[in-house]
Amino acid sequence: MRQIAFPLLALISLACAAPAATRQHYGGTLRVAMQSAPMTLVMPASSTPTDYWDMARVLSLVGDNLVRIDAEGRPQSALALAWQGDSTARHWQFTLHHGVKFHDGTPASAAAIAQTLGALHPDWNIRASASSPNADSLTIDTETSTPSLLAELALPRNLILTRNAAGLPVGTGPFRIAEFQPGKLLKLAASEDCWSGRPFLDAIEIEFGKSLRDQAVALELGRSDVIEAAPQAASTSPRIRTSSSLPVELMALVFASNSKAQDVRLRQALAFSIDRKPIQSVLLKGAAEPTAGILPNWMTGYGSAFSTRTNVQRAKTLLADSRQPPLALSYDPRDPHAQLIAERIALNAREAGITVQVSLSGAEDIRLVRIALPSPDPALSLRETARQLALVSPVLHGNTVEDLFQAEHALLDDDSVIPLFHLPIASAASARVRGWVSDQLGLSNLADLWLEDSRLEAPR
Amino acid sequence: MSFRQKLLLLFASTILLCVAVMSVSVYGTMRQSFEQANQDRANSVAAQFRSEFQRRSQDVARKVESIAASEIVQRMALEINRSASSVGGDASGYLSEARTLATQQQLDFLELVDHQGTILSSAQWQAKFGYPESAISAATGPADGGVFLKREELPNGPTLGLFAVRAAHVGEQPLFVIGGERLDQGFLSTLDIPVGTRVLLYQNLDAKWNPQSLRDLNGPAAGADRIAPLVGKVRATGQDAEGVIHWTGDSADAEVFHAIPLTGPNQQLLGVLLVASSRRPLIELQRRVISTAMLVGGLGILVAVLASLWFAARVTRPVISLAEAARRVAAGDLSAKVEVESSDELGELATSFNRMTEDLLHQKDRAVQAERVAAWRELARRLAHELKNPLFPLQVTVENLMRAKEKSPEMFEKVFHESTSTLLAEINNLKTIIGRFSEFSKMPQPQRQPTQVNDVLRSVLRVFHAQLQENNRITVHTELADSLPEIQADPDLLHRALSNLVLNAIDAMPQGGDLTLRTTAFRAGEFIDRVAISVSDTGSGLTPEECERLFTPYYTTKQHGTGLGLAIVQSVVSDHGGKISVESTQEKGTTFRIELPCGAPQHSQVAQG
Repeated sequence: MRQIAFPLLALISLACAAPAATRQHYGGTLRVAMQSAPMTLVMPASSTPTDYWDMARVLSLVGDNLVRIDAEGRPQSALALAWQGDSTARHWQFTLHHGVKFHDGTPASAAAIAQTLGALHPDWNIRASASSPNADSLTIDTETSTPSLLAELALPRNLILTRNAAGLPVGTGPFRIAEFQPGKLLKLAASEDCWSGRPFLDAIEIEFGKSLRDQAVALELGRSDVIEAAPQAASTSPRIRTSSSLPVELMALVFASNSKAQDVRLRQALAFSIDRKPIQSVLLKGAAEPTAGILPNWMTGYGSAFSTRTNVQRAKTLLADSRQPPLALSYDPRDPHAQLIAERIALNAREAGITVQVSLSGAEDIRLVRIALPSPDPALSLRETARQLALVSPVLHGNTVEDLFQAEHALLDDDSVIPLFHLPIASAASARVRGWVSDQLGLSNLADLWLEDSRLEAPR
Repeated sequence: MSFRQKLLLLFASTILLCVAVMSVSVYGTMRQSFEQANQDRANSVAAQFRSEFQRRSQDVARKVESIAASEIVQRMALEINRSASSVGGDASGYLSEARTLATQQQLDFLELVDHQGTILSSAQWQAKFGYPESAISAATGPADGGVFLKREELPNGPTLGLFAVRAAHVGEQPLFVIGGERLDQGFLSTLDIPVGTRVLLYQNLDAKWNPQSLRDLNGPAAGADRIAPLVGKVRATGQDAEGVIHWTGDSADAEVFHAIPLTGPNQQLLGVLLVASSRRPLIELQRRVISTAMLVGGLGILVAVLASLWFAARVTRPVISLAEAARRVAAGDLSAKVEVESSDELGELATSFNRMTEDLLHQKDRAVQAERVAAWRELARRLAHELKNPLFPLQVTVENLMRAKEKSPEMFEKVFHESTSTLLAEINNLKTIIGRFSEFSKMPQPQRQPTQVNDVLRSVLRVFHAQLQENNRITVHTELADSLPEIQADPDLLHRALSNLVLNAIDAMPQGGDLTLRTTAFRAGEFIDRVAISVSDTGSGLTPEECERLFTPYYTTKQHGTGLGLAIVQSVVSDHGGKISVESTQEKGTTFRIELPCGAPQHSQVAQG
């Protein structure tokens, strides 16, 4: 990876015309702030996008996947040098890097990787074999056709990690865990004998539980080097650089199973009443993409097939001669914009004669949620999104775009989910951070950074 | 009811009536005063509300003016004028401006609205950007300085506010600033409310009555549904209304409510101000007045009774003396006199009474004299009659002796012996007659001792037992009261008197009949104070004239009676402090009834026999 990344980073750095023409060098501690406050270093099965992406960023510094997927959905080499699948997409064979070791010194052999993956996917048949003296081989057989297997293996949850006695992850990545204070702090130290080469940074310190506002203040005061940022936040400071990913989050309204909105007309009317444009332009400051579909347009190309047009009159017509109950709308209080967006939706709904009360307490009928779209592979993201929204698993009859559209359309057919926006992930870095490039899929490139003044670090 | 009691009642009633009239009069006056005071208090609070409303209006207007003139708003107005489109998307930079400005000026509501009436920034509902502000058209008029009430929609429901609108004129298009303050319990808390008064505000924000919209200083007002009719009246008429609400059965817990409508720019009813005055002070004062009136009335009545007693005693004393004297006269005491104390009608009455009793006394003396003369005449007649009978044989015998001496000396001796026997017999007869009269004149005084009357009667019957046995045509009936108490009496004299009555009864029934002896006890309260003895026969009876003279000495209806028997009975009864009476019906019989006092209190333990 480093062999490819280095020239690329160098080119981007030059293109950014950073003062920059400083040479890459080793050393220094990168200070990172995050909103989430994990108590364990495990990929959450179901969580907010922030928690998901934060943990993915952390664990991707410690471990490696068998393969990676780039923004175009193309598989890239990682622990696996090469791979091959049969025509049924049920039998897959991977050739692994030889001599890779975990941070504790144990070899990351095909058997070890097979054991790790086997624990994650008990329904897969995974076998390890030594195909040659210098390369291990891994075979994966699935019961059903799995064309998205490579995308699946590239997910953060499929990072090849083992656990030490303290339950902390031990991987093959560029950093190893030096100290973990649950919910507060994580210290990572550079892995000197990483199979992909030692990172420039000596260490990374991650502070957990910092609000976006606190992170922004810390960045302004030079107490943090890399922070999370609201997608729309564009810094006016020349010392701060921001980057946004592709839209990899879905903001949607989800009706609870026991919602008072059992009448599909009410759900449809609410969907028609929402005016996404002002929310997108004013509240999200243009950073989001209005949508009525689950998957973003960059992933599928048919995003415009789901209409986002507001039609209050249609909503009123749907509700004519019916007496609908007031609905309680809840939101994630950690999301700084969620309340305003929820209130705006309530205001829109009122125009259509629907009473929506925004509340954080009591029984909820609708939730305003943000869901991470974990993979650039649309089929995999659709399945993961359906799982997180507690929808029925989508049925894909083929690998074509039409099949994908039909499956997505079927998911939205009863309006139990009203997609609103696709949102990117934004980060910001101080000027001392070098090698900072935009990451399209939301995962950070922290392992590839170096610090300009690493030899003269700023006081903490 | 006595004359004195009547006077007392009259006086007491008069005073009671006076106290009642005075209390009612005071109560009415006081009630009227309190109603007026309540009204004044309500008016005062309403005036204070209007004053506070005016002050707050000026305050709001000043703050809104200040915001409209601020650099931020001026710059914003300038930017909007420069922008080709000032709606929707351009509002993104101003989203929080209104909230910031509202916080600085301590306003509850603030909206920045473009010339088309579109909200650019809202402090009270940030999500409302891009929506039209309905107040702009309405506010265009008062924008020059007026302040108005307005219904304001908020995320958690509508509320009522006091608003002012000012425009920032930078460039061609104005930027409107609409600011305001809530009109709620916080507003009410700024009012200086008199003790015993409270203020409530109904925000007329719903089509129907909503109890949650009625608030006092502490939030939603308790018992809102009881106030609903009054508010409904204001909502229906748009005019002031008034009513009394009783919260409990205690009338002191009632409140007088004055409802004042609060209207918006188009005279639509937006709220109702309710000023409630507790009736407790009035009721408690009423109670104090009533209790004081009752106390004073009671004391007045007491004093009146005492005064009446004194006055009535003074007024009625001559009357009572007169009545007492009349009772004594009625009882036979003709010596009763009334003291003449005044020269008024009562004094004249007393003088007349005294004169009348003197006349009666003289008449009685004359009657006694006449009766005494009659008695002497009767005595003389009886004596003459009694003495004439033995004297005639004496005269005849002496004449026989003289005739025998002269004409038949040889028979003289024999005649002499016969005549002397006759003379001695008649002389003895005269002695007997004289002895009886002597005995009547020597009636002994009774020797009183505890005596059982029933025992005396039984003793009398035993004496006459043989006689009654001989004449078995007479049936004896005894109806003697059980456990008749002993009386203080002389049993021998009583025996003698009752024997005379029994003997008379036997004599009255030569053809036989029923002799009934009966005793009865009479009580006064819980004590037996006298006993009655009756002796009844079923003889031929007496005429009324005979009954009248029956107890006169020497009067008799018998062929050979002396006329002293019943006189002795009356003397014995009289000496025991009792009285005797007779009832007789011709051809049916006669009953003598004797009533004797017990002499000492006897407990009631007697059943009628």
